[in-house]
Amino acid sequence: METLTHILNGFTVALQPINLWYTFVGCFLGTVIGVLPGIGPSATIALLIPMTYGMEPTSALIMMCGIFYGARYGGSTTAILINTPGEASSVMTSLDGYQMAKNGRAGAALAISAIGSFIAGTLGVIALTLFALPLTSLALKFGPAEYFVLMFFAMTAVSSLAGKSPAKAMISSLLGLMIATIGIDMQSGQQRFTMGIMELQDGVGFIIAVVGLFAIAEVFSAMEEMVKRIRPEIIRLKGSVWLTMDEWKLSVKPILRGSVVGFVVGVLPGAGGTIASIMSYVWEKRLSKHPEMFGKGAVEGVAGPEAANNADTAGAMVPLLTLGIPGGGSTAVMLGAFIMYGIQPGPMLFQNRPDLVWGLIDSMYIGNLMLLILNIPLIHLFVRLLYIPGGILMPLIMAISAIGLFALNGNTLELFFGLMFGVLGYLFRKVDIPVAPLVLSLVLGGMMEQSFRQAMTISNANPIIFVSSPICIALVIMSIVSICLPFILARLTPSKT
Amino acid sequence: MLANRVIFVCTVVVAMVYLYGTTQIPSLDIGDPLGPKAFPMLLGIGLLIAAGMLALEMWRDKAKNSPEADQPPAFEPRVIMVLGGVVVWTGAYYLMFIPLGYVCATAIYLFGLMAFFHPRKWVPNVATAVLFPLVTFFLFAKLEVSLPKGIFSF
Repeated sequence: METLTHILNGFTVALQPINLWYTFVGCFLGTVIGVLPGIGPSATIALLIPMTYGMEPTSALIMMCGIFYGARYGGSTTAILINTPGEASSVMTSLDGYQMAKNGRAGAALAISAIGSFIAGTLGVIALTLFALPLTSLALKFGPAEYFVLMFFAMTAVSSLAGKSPAKAMISSLLGLMIATIGIDMQSGQQRFTMGIMELQDGVGFIIAVVGLFAIAEVFSAMEEMVKRIRPEIIRLKGSVWLTMDEWKLSVKPILRGSVVGFVVGVLPGAGGTIASIMSYVWEKRLSKHPEMFGKGAVEGVAGPEAANNADTAGAMVPLLTLGIPGGGSTAVMLGAFIMYGIQPGPMLFQNRPDLVWGLIDSMYIGNLMLLILNIPLIHLFVRLLYIPGGILMPLIMAISAIGLFALNGNTLELFFGLMFGVLGYLFRKVDIPVAPLVLSLVLGGMMEQSFRQAMTISNANPIIFVSSPICIALVIMSIVSICLPFILARLTPSKT
Repeated sequence: MLANRVIFVCTVVVAMVYLYGTTQIPSLDIGDPLGPKAFPMLLGIGLLIAAGMLALEMWRDKAKNSPEADQPPAFEPRVIMVLGGVVVWTGAYYLMFIPLGYVCATAIYLFGLMAFFHPRKWVPNVATAVLFPLVTFFLFAKLEVSLPKGIFSF
């Protein structure tokens, strides 16, 4: 009953004309930028954050959420039409989506993607609505020690599942935490690692790091491809964007199964849309009567992973909103946006700002519907974006990045910091160091240290506090499991030789 | 393998520099049993452990004779030169951002990049380089984000 009251109150916020407008703008812009090859949700959010600087926090966050799932949808279009996923989670979509497009069923693949995304996104938000309040009750039992161990678990989970090398992911995580220690220490007031640079006293701005690591680094990678003259082939979209009855019948069950997989995996830190879509793909292939068709344009190979990918978006919002802990790179960027508006997600947000949090959740129902309405008829328009030459597009992204960096504090030094992060992000990609653990650590670093020191103050510097409650013990065990996971998986994977 | 060796050396150097920096933090431990040094100290040690883990991975790959171990780093001289040029050009753009103003500096910056990456298409390049900064300047002014006017500040 309490949840129902909150939902209804949330709709009074989400249905306000101004918020409906921002939901639409967010979904539209998210899709537009997400369609651009190689630009994933994290880069999209980072690039579009400056547009929300002057806005009221609720409207700004509603728009940010629209951008988030709009970008996820846009990424599927590039995966299907040019075999270049906007982000790793769309890789599985490209396997069969691109083949469907090559077989002349591009419209059907895009329709399955749109409908699957809508159904999975809506089911995911329903699950988020149902789980939010019980989880906040649990979260209220969290003290500094529990929060520290939870953040530690989030980082170990992201590190163990990001990239091929656990050591490189750990290096990335620790570098993020180190960057987070730059600035004035909140408890002692001492300056740390500022090197006498005044602009570093408040620490390294999160937006600077994200714009650099995601947007600028992406531009450098795209420019490298231009230098090497690598050009993806774009499949022409002809005819209507709709599917036949047979294709619909083949899609329904994979969409429903993908929704469940996506949501459950999305709730877990670290796993994210990539793992969800891979799991869904493997599941569908096993259940299929024609597994040999997978990789050659199987409808289920698009429907399942697409649903999983989008349900994951709603699932990832569960730990973000209820515990204030993001589970991956994209939600870390979302948390950064929350913090930028002076809002700390977590159980207290549900108590202190129910209008904001439920307005945001309800806006996701509306956003999903808007995306469906937008994407089916306007897909031909969005597809035109794929024809913009990279030589024009990439310089424009650099200019938009400059606006975002400068608009933060009106300081040119921060532009250079952003450029440095861009170079770092590019180098990381070249040598296979995952960026997501660094971003997550950068966002959580400050909170993690505060929780660690508060817990140690409470326990009089006795580390036993980190295994003193059932929640802590469970989280420590989960952390150990996630640390060991890459080694277990390596043992289970048969050797090629 | 070479890339991993470079990462290993860089990680150790960063960890050592960071640990040295940690020892330079003045400590006031009143009411805080750990002080501002302890957490960074743990991170520095953690980074050294991560470097050790990377060394183990390299050793394991070598022992397995993994094909990945023999892969050279994928840096082509031409790519490095072009991207180096882009970084320098972007740095110059940032330096001129306030003196010239957003519109003027961005128009020149965009035109320069487009002339290289989208050559011989002068009409779309010039049109985009001029119109984009103008449109975004007024759009962001509407959104209460003020960008430097520079030479147009009258």
